[in-house]
Amino acid sequence: MNREELLPGTLHLLILKTLARNQQMHGYEIARSIQQFSQDVLQVEEGSLYPALQRMLIKGWVKAEWGVTAENRRARYYRLTAAGRKQLEVEKAQFDRVIQAIARVIQTA
Amino acid sequence: MSKLSEIWRRVGMLVRGEVFARELEEEMRLHKDLKEQELVADGVDAREARYAANRQFGNAMNLRERGSQAWGWEWIEHFMQDVNYGVRGMLRSPGTTLVALLSLALGIGANTAIFSLTDAVMLKSLPVKDPAGLVLFGSGLDQGISDGFPNPELYSYPFYREMQKRNQVFSDVAASFSMIDHVHGFIEGRSDAEAMNIQLVSGTYFPMLGVQAEAGRMLSEEDDRKKGERPVAVVSYAWWTHSLARDPSVLNKKLTIGPTVFSIVGVAPPEFFGTKVGEAPDIWIPLAMQKEIPPGWDGYQDSMFESLHLMARLKPGVTMTEASADSNLLFQQILHGLAGVPLNQENLQELDKTRVELNSMATGFSRLRYEFSEPLKILMGVVGLVLLIACANIANLLLARSTARARELAVRQALGAGRSRLIRQLLTESLVLALAGGALGVAFAAWASHLLSRMVLDGRDALQLNVGVDMRLLLFTLGVSVATALLFGTIPAFRATTQTLANSLKEGRGQSNAPAKARLATALVVSQIALSLVLLVGAGLLFRSFLTLLKTNPGFNPDGVLTMNLNLPFAKYKENAQRSAFYADLVQRVKTLPGVQSAAVVNYLPLGGANSSDFFLIEGAPEPPPPTQSSIATTIVLAIVSLVS
Repeated sequence: MNREELLPGTLHLLILKTLARNQQMHGYEIARSIQQFSQDVLQVEEGSLYPALQRMLIKGWVKAEWGVTAENRRARYYRLTAAGRKQLEVEKAQFDRVIQAIARVIQTA
Repeated sequence: MSKLSEIWRRVGMLVRGEVFARELEEEMRLHKDLKEQELVADGVDAREARYAANRQFGNAMNLRERGSQAWGWEWIEHFMQDVNYGVRGMLRSPGTTLVALLSLALGIGANTAIFSLTDAVMLKSLPVKDPAGLVLFGSGLDQGISDGFPNPELYSYPFYREMQKRNQVFSDVAASFSMIDHVHGFIEGRSDAEAMNIQLVSGTYFPMLGVQAEAGRMLSEEDDRKKGERPVAVVSYAWWTHSLARDPSVLNKKLTIGPTVFSIVGVAPPEFFGTKVGEAPDIWIPLAMQKEIPPGWDGYQDSMFESLHLMARLKPGVTMTEASADSNLLFQQILHGLAGVPLNQENLQELDKTRVELNSMATGFSRLRYEFSEPLKILMGVVGLVLLIACANIANLLLARSTARARELAVRQALGAGRSRLIRQLLTESLVLALAGGALGVAFAAWASHLLSRMVLDGRDALQLNVGVDMRLLLFTLGVSVATALLFGTIPAFRATTQTLANSLKEGRGQSNAPAKARLATALVVSQIALSLVLLVGAGLLFRSFLTLLKTNPGFNPDGVLTMNLNLPFAKYKENAQRSAFYADLVQRVKTLPGVQSAAVVNYLPLGGANSSDFFLIEGAPEPPPPTQSSIATTIVLAIVSLVS
């Protein structure tokens, strides 16, 4: 299976979007969700999720709370805040602009 | 708003520290475990699954670091490490550390203490409105009551009034009694008499200085119009604090001094101590009440009762020269026309020769200044040298230590320590040393300035001189010594990190860069010895002078003589006869104490710096003609040596 590296700067966007779809998720669930939705195309270096989550905690985009998994293990669950929702819109718009620009460059014969 | 809460979150993380690291660790472990379980469920071999989980996760240590770095507190962690290491390094060579700390403490402490005293005695401006516009008639060094004619140092009350009325150059003129009256009085509601230092001033004194009351009002011209009319008093902030514990009802209190009851009408602002540096009165009372204050002088209307310091504020735009010309002209005119002044031929000749000297009163006036200016300047120079020596000392110690550490630094670099990180570490270490020394210096300064002000005031209440530790100089000396420590602590760091590693590693301990370092060290040692020699010779000479002074023969035998000061409560001992009886009894009883050979009482101690001169009549001899200048030859100085041994 061919796996692609993430475009730089899109990790935040992916995490935000993933969390927006769900009430709350722990780190592993986020990584799995990204992988599944991209149909295994997008490859996140799984560890780098955690520094990214820390940065988002600082910014106040996500909130973290300790909970228990189905297998009864302690896990840190993340959920989106209002600020995070706003940020998601900002990043999505930004991403769209960049992609469209790239597309225009590539498709112009 | 969001910025603020972000900072709040960052601080929260810093506080949680350990817990934070553990939680991140746990979270990552869970991730890898779940991954591993998933792979095993997919049929991957257990060992292979663990390996794959780890690989896909990435470098955990690196990630952990990035996770905590995100919060931006990395520098604190490094700083704490360096401080820790620095303290351990200091403890490893306690001798060096002790010497360095003591040098710093001495350099900083002595300088600050001496300068604080110099500032209080010589430099500080009076805490009044526009002190630069104030002038003093004469030097302010004379104290007492004089009937010498003419006197350009001490003035009578009628003269003050004339000067105030007739001058063209001053916006106002004020007067203060040249001595502080040490009396005992009663605070309303208390049964014991308490010592009070009273300063008599003219009603214009506070308005001219521009001093505003902290509470109530200050004295005004109305209070000083008519002799004995207004028994009012203004108390100092210090006195209000230590005698009345800042009782807010102070303005309703009465003071009983002698038979007179005074109303307290105001409290002076905290910074105002008077106009005489080193003599801070507790209470100000108008000169019109002079006769009511023990010992009951009656000079309010007496032109020959010369007892006042005269001060004035220049009108805007008037120069000292113009003021001086006008004052001298008036001095002559007033004394020629003042009622009660004996204008015989001799006095007129003297008056013709006398001139008034005006002095700036921006920094107040003071006997202390006269006595201690020179010694303080010398001391200031000496401690300046001490500071230089202390700095050289620190520099040398740090250089020596760094030579010994060249190898350590090389090893650290070889192990991958960054240059900036190494320099930061050495900087922190020097800073720890410098700040520890600085803290000692501050403590030393506080202690020494207290001690010094007590020495200068000769046992009088230290509150009378406003000597706080001077913050400006403290910061300056602290800055100088910290800068030295940082400079000489980091030079080796720059050197060590620029030279080729291999050389340092190959060389044994303490061999690197030998010539350059030796030159610097030699220069430091030479200057240190030179400075120390100057100080040593100076101190030796000073000590020798001191010994000579101790051996000087005062003309009487001071061996085994003890003295004490005594102040009889005036309220109880009103009559001269009562006082004589008390002293006679006192001498008798002291004489019978075991070990006492003889005892005596005197009003002015020999060589005590004060005296009193007066005319006397010989019993049975004819009364001489009214006093003239020549008859002063018959004046003697009354002094009885008090010998208690």
